Amino acid sequence: MNPRFKKRNLIYSASLCVLLLFLSGLIPPLRTPLLDIFKLPLNLLNFTRHEIAGIIFYHQHMAQNEKLRRENDLLKQKLVTLNEVYLENERLNRLLSLKQRFSYRVIAAKVIGRPADSWSSAIIIDKGSYHGLKRGFVVINYLGLVGRVVETTLLTSKIMLINDPNLSVSAIVERSRQEGLVSGTLGSYLMMKYLPKDADIKVSDTILTSGLTSVYPKGLLVGTVIDIGEEFSGLTRYCLIRPAVNLSSIEEVLIIIP
Amino acid sequence: MRNWFFLLTIVILGLIQVTILNYVKIFNVKPDLLLISLLLSSLFFEMKWAFILGISAGILKDIFATNIFGTNTLLFALWTYLIIKLSKKISIDNNYIRAPLMFIVAFLTSIITRLMLLTQGNVIPLGIALRIMLLEPLYTALIFPLILKYMQPMLSFKVIKR
Repeated sequence: MNPRFKKRNLIYSASLCVLLLFLSGLIPPLRTPLLDIFKLPLNLLNFTRHEIAGIIFYHQHMAQNEKLRRENDLLKQKLVTLNEVYLENERLNRLLSLKQRFSYRVIAAKVIGRPADSWSSAIIIDKGSYHGLKRGFVVINYLGLVGRVVETTLLTSKIMLINDPNLSVSAIVERSRQEGLVSGTLGSYLMMKYLPKDADIKVSDTILTSGLTSVYPKGLLVGTVIDIGEEFSGLTRYCLIRPAVNLSSIEEVLIIIP
Repeated sequence: MRNWFFLLTIVILGLIQVTILNYVKIFNVKPDLLLISLLLSSLFFEMKWAFILGISAGILKDIFATNIFGTNTLLFALWTYLIIKLSKKISIDNNYIRAPLMFIVAFLTSIITRLMLLTQGNVIPLGIALRIMLLEPLYTALIFPLILKYMQPMLSFKVIKR
């Protein structure tokens, strides 16, 4: 081989190596802007590939989608059922703890219906005279007073709720021991009537059963005062009470056996 | 067969009224499905069966109510009689007449119920009473055409010529 040609080849090779080394040194700082420049065409290409694959594998994807959707529905259903079981478990646990610390004998029952008309506030439960229930028994749940048994059949009972105008309960203000008569309004609130003009009562006071009427045990939580007003006659005052129990969504109750 | 099927429908409507319907209450008021079934039976059945079906609906409502037993049974029988009488005088063959009639029947039922509660000493505040007296009939009248639409093909109703 010609020595001149050999030398030139060597120079070329060395130059190439230097250039490559230089470029390799430049690449890390250039990588980010280059990637940014290529992002759009890469995305476009990827989108096209994805779309073509989507068209080619449409049927396979459709079948897979249907299968996954079915699985998803099944899992959702299971989740709802489990959630319901969890909530029921929580409620029953609270009822059980109340039952254990309560000095009275109580029977637990489930709510199975409500009255057909809008003129009364009541619930129908799944326990009746067969289980020892009688007319007049007091009904509570873990939050407070619920109502009173007004009718029993062999296997079911009708409970009049405390927000029915037919039901009145003698009650006291926990803080000041002020007495009054609590009755229902068919709405979401209860009304404590016949309070003297100088009655010591404030908003957010707690109302309890007074125990004056032997039917209702003393100290059952009725609700919290949310508003105080004056009767039309101007002789007495009244107060609105938010019931401790959410009467529109009761699912389990306890009936006190005297 | 059609009569017995409708009787079963009344029972189902009654059960829906005391269970599921409590979840669709608006302003604490729910529509009266049994009153709707009363109007349907009065308009689409022969007099004998209209009475049987109407009274059955009344009994069912009284079973689940807390007032004195028999109030709704008597009231439903009275409405059946009056609707049949009215249908002999005027033609009640479209929803523009049926829905207002439903409203009137439900409104009068509410007033009578309120008066009966008053005689028993149950004083319901006027605001709440008015709310029930106006909203319940309105609600009932509004869903009446819907229920009729779904029941007409199911029971293959035909208008009784009186």
